[in-house]
Amino acid sequence: MNLYLKLLSGSLRSRMQYKMNFLVSSLSYGLIMAVDFVLLAAILQRFDDVKGWNLYEVGLLYGISSVAITLYRVFCVEVHNFERYMVEGEFDSLLIRPVSPLSLLLTKNLDLSRIGGTIQGIIILVISIIGLKLNNIELFLLLIYLPVTIVSGVLICFSLGLITATIAFWTQRIKDFQTFTLYAPFNAANYPMNIYPGWLKIIFFTVIPVGFMNYTPILFLLNKGGDLWNLALPPLVSIIFLFVALRFWKFGIRHYHSTGS
Amino acid sequence: MIQAQQLNKHFKIYETKKGFIGSFASLLSTKHHVVKAVDDISFSVEEGEFVGYIGPNGAGKSTTIKMLSGILHLTSGEIKVGGLSPQKKRKEVAKKIGIVFGQRTQLWWDLPLRDSFDILKEMYKVPDEKYRQFLKLYDDMLQIGKFMDTPVRKLSLGQRMRGDLAAAMIHNPDILFLDEPTIGLDVNAKTSIRAFLKELNQNEKKTILLTTHDMDDIELLCSRVIVINHGQIVLDGTLEDLRKNIGLPSVMEIQYRVKPTTTDIRLEGIERMTWEDEKLVIDYDRSLLSSPLLLQKVTQWGEPVDIQMKEPDIEQVIQKIY
Repeated sequence: MNLYLKLLSGSLRSRMQYKMNFLVSSLSYGLIMAVDFVLLAAILQRFDDVKGWNLYEVGLLYGISSVAITLYRVFCVEVHNFERYMVEGEFDSLLIRPVSPLSLLLTKNLDLSRIGGTIQGIIILVISIIGLKLNNIELFLLLIYLPVTIVSGVLICFSLGLITATIAFWTQRIKDFQTFTLYAPFNAANYPMNIYPGWLKIIFFTVIPVGFMNYTPILFLLNKGGDLWNLALPPLVSIIFLFVALRFWKFGIRHYHSTGS
Repeated sequence: MIQAQQLNKHFKIYETKKGFIGSFASLLSTKHHVVKAVDDISFSVEEGEFVGYIGPNGAGKSTTIKMLSGILHLTSGEIKVGGLSPQKKRKEVAKKIGIVFGQRTQLWWDLPLRDSFDILKEMYKVPDEKYRQFLKLYDDMLQIGKFMDTPVRKLSLGQRMRGDLAAAMIHNPDILFLDEPTIGLDVNAKTSIRAFLKELNQNEKKTILLTTHDMDDIELLCSRVIVINHGQIVLDGTLEDLRKNIGLPSVMEIQYRVKPTTTDIRLEGIERMTWEDEKLVIDYDRSLLSSPLLLQKVTQWGEPVDIQMKEPDIEQVIQKIY
């Protein structure tokens, strides 16, 4: 634990050496996310609802997924940018320490510029929850469950990121894969799953299980269908998926090739 | 301390294609050729030995070190470092060894040197008292105190290398793997690092395995030399054995004002003479022909404008072993 704090404070202090860069990037990232949602709101205002989901309901989905995704981007930045470790051979440095390489990766850096996105996600969540005008029991249930769904969401994002990173042990480069395994699914998770064609839905509930991070539980919590399983599945799926990702990662390390010196 | 038996490391080199479809195709494709980076190598190193592990680029030196330190898994063979397999007990072995890669720092780039040490102290669970002794000792030996509070990225290459060496010793390991620790350093920095390594080996009885491209490193430090080429050991013996095989290879370059007329010269010890216009390059063996004698001869042949002595490349040295 002590080590974890030491490593984190080290990475924070490294980061703070470049203050201007930090400020500009957090500002621009927050702005991009805000524009994104304003666009969505504009579309929803025009059509009233998307396949039975009104603005605030979509806002709830959007808020949960963007909080989960940006938290993943804050805490797992080095997993997300793992390509660098393969291409530049920096992974060697992680393997010479008496600590697991994954913990070293997770403590190596925090991308605080993404915190802006998290805050914006929380604001959307608050606005949506107020706008929904839920009764007391519904509101209570939703607020109780919100942390569970966000943590499950972060775990699912992390597992996806880790699996994509593991691919780099064979391909070296993963930027191309990330579009399909991370960016596209993350974007898709901002909207209700029922707008997607069947084959895409199957993908989002199996190999890339982003449907569980918000759609599954919110469906039940907003009385749109499903049963109590809808609340049990997200944590279950995320833990199983995390386990699979960690096994795959361990398997990948055995195939690490390193680079010439 | 180190046992390596019939080490093999084969890399499958897949053909990579461009773009998403291409990289996906290459992930699935089975088209490849096998490169034997390390091909059936066996050796063992006893406690307190200082071993030079040399060979041309791509010979398999770094691959061997990466296997010994647990970074790479083996295709086949067995390794014991301090009695443990680095592949099965990577974390335990990591506590017994110190590693320095000359090409790549292990320090935290944006932090002061002191902070890197603090983090490593925590990582290796070094007790406070031991840590204080360490800082004192290594300030004496490497004079790192002067730049302890400078961010690593602002250190000179020589300072950074001293910092890296100290960082590798923070948990007081018995075994040191040094991958080209003198690369790119100036003469002064090389001298101070060599003095430090000699002290570590002789006074602290550390076992050291060193790869280098610098023949001086080998001659000044190593009691034993292992030469590797194309993944195989071509020589494993003392510095004397290496000398017997290659002599003391040296190079002299002489720039003449006018190209001498008598260029057909035979002298015991001269291995090769090549002319480039007015410049003469002589490869000779210092154990057979002394440099002052050769100097005297070349000034007799004509009027030199400039004379330079050069260290031979390790590549040339290894050529001679065959």
